[in-house]
Amino acid sequence: MSFLEIDNLSAFYGKAQALTDISITVQPGEIVAVVGPNGAGKSTLLDSIMGLVKTEGDIRLRGHSLVGRSSSEIVRSGVGYAPERFNLFPYMSVRDNLMVGAFTAREDIQSNLDIVHKLFPRLKEREGQETSTQSGGERQMVSFGRALMTSPELLLIDEPTIGLAPKICLEIAEVIRQLNSEYGLTVVITEQNANFALSLASRIYVLESGRMQTSGTEAELRNDKRLLDAYFGGH
Amino acid sequence: MGLRWFHYVLWGGLIAGMFLLPQVVSNGTMRTMIFANYLAIFAISWDVLSGRTGYVSFGHPFLIGIGAYTTAILTKRFDVPVEISIPIAVVCTMIAGLLVLLPALRIRGSYFALVTLAFMELLYQLVQVIRPDLTGGTRGMSGIQTLTRGASNGYYLSTALMLSVAVSMWLLMKTRLGTALAAIGMNEESVRGSGLSSTRLKAFAFLTSAFIAGLGGAFYVHYLGSLAPRALFDINFLFTIIVAALLGGTSTIVGPMIGAFFMTFLLEYLRPVLPGAERYFVYGAIALLLYMYQPKGLVELVRTGVLRLRKGGVA
Repeated sequence: MSFLEIDNLSAFYGKAQALTDISITVQPGEIVAVVGPNGAGKSTLLDSIMGLVKTEGDIRLRGHSLVGRSSSEIVRSGVGYAPERFNLFPYMSVRDNLMVGAFTAREDIQSNLDIVHKLFPRLKEREGQETSTQSGGERQMVSFGRALMTSPELLLIDEPTIGLAPKICLEIAEVIRQLNSEYGLTVVITEQNANFALSLASRIYVLESGRMQTSGTEAELRNDKRLLDAYFGGH
Repeated sequence: MGLRWFHYVLWGGLIAGMFLLPQVVSNGTMRTMIFANYLAIFAISWDVLSGRTGYVSFGHPFLIGIGAYTTAILTKRFDVPVEISIPIAVVCTMIAGLLVLLPALRIRGSYFALVTLAFMELLYQLVQVIRPDLTGGTRGMSGIQTLTRGASNGYYLSTALMLSVAVSMWLLMKTRLGTALAAIGMNEESVRGSGLSSTRLKAFAFLTSAFIAGLGGAFYVHYLGSLAPRALFDINFLFTIIVAALLGGTSTIVGPMIGAFFMTFLLEYLRPVLPGAERYFVYGAIALLLYMYQPKGLVELVRTGVLRLRKGGVA
């Protein structure tokens, strides 16, 4: 049984269909990436897993369907969501941003906070700072931290490198690897930066215009010249 | 919770100062302060709903009116003691708060503001035409039982009420629940993505806001001893509440208090110079200037002033 199974998922914003017949499987302890250009439906896919948009089809976590469950139930079942860094609470301190994530895992607050501070010491140093005054990289750390405060087993990360300097992207990749290897988290990331995704994920799904174009392992996709030209800029 | 010793000292100092004030000020000033206290209660109530969650209400007098009318009718028409009528009024206002919540489950922004304005207008029209023998119709009600006699007693009661509301809300907002309420105002989608039920949080904010509005409305009508629908549902009254919260600083507790006192005394001191509605032009201009210079309100000006003084002192 896969850890996360998505079968024939379609998603809708009102009458507009944003995803069509998407199927994805994620094994326990795996890092999976979903790549595609702007408007491909990457964020919608994560929002669908979180129960934030209207969907058809099935989403199962450890064999149990998430469809029809509220976002808070989905988070309590072990799914953490790190949205794009622009989706923080800008006029709140770093600590308060993290505490919003702590609602669903009240008994683990201190241990989760210790993990967040160990991974991102800068957040401890600047816990009183408003996130609106932070750099892009720091905000991304807060976004990760808030998701980790929910005690997740599956971490969904939406475009972690968007608008960030290459050096920061490398740091973020390292943190994701650490979360996966040291803390045993299964990770699903969405990315426009295909090279970042290829360097990190064991399997990659390619989305375009709300439809699945192809999928494969990092090795398979690296050797597919047509795909590289179309989606990865010919690398 | 982030509570520090100086928080208690500041609140203690404020409480002591406000209760010692009748020893040094005139009865006229005390009467002005009574109005400031009630305006502060209404502004805090508005801020819990609108300042925190971002659901801007243009119909707050609807909630205040429910509280005021319920206790006024119960005491005046049915001889219900105030100890019973006020809690009933508060419960009725909370039920009304849930009515306001319903549109908030589907809409926000200017649409929500307009719907709440319609609630206020609806109640204004209803109290005039439905059972005027109970509501007093267009003329309202007079001879309502008062709780205190004399300016100083009225001042002590309103001060105790305002400070109880302020301290309770301040403590509440220091909890994670308070943090989550503020988060809704900044990014409701992210709140849901963090596993929180935005519906439950909104319901809590609306009920809390209605509780304070009902409590304030009920005590206010028992202070005035009369009730005039035209004054209660007046657009100027509504804007005075909103501007007090904005001017003082939203998403804070001290902000609406400062805003309420500033507004009340400003309007009072302008009265001899500008006896008519022109006074509202002046406060509008002040609000505009302040909002352009410091959108976080007077509380932020005070905070930065204190920080500068402390830095200067250290240097």
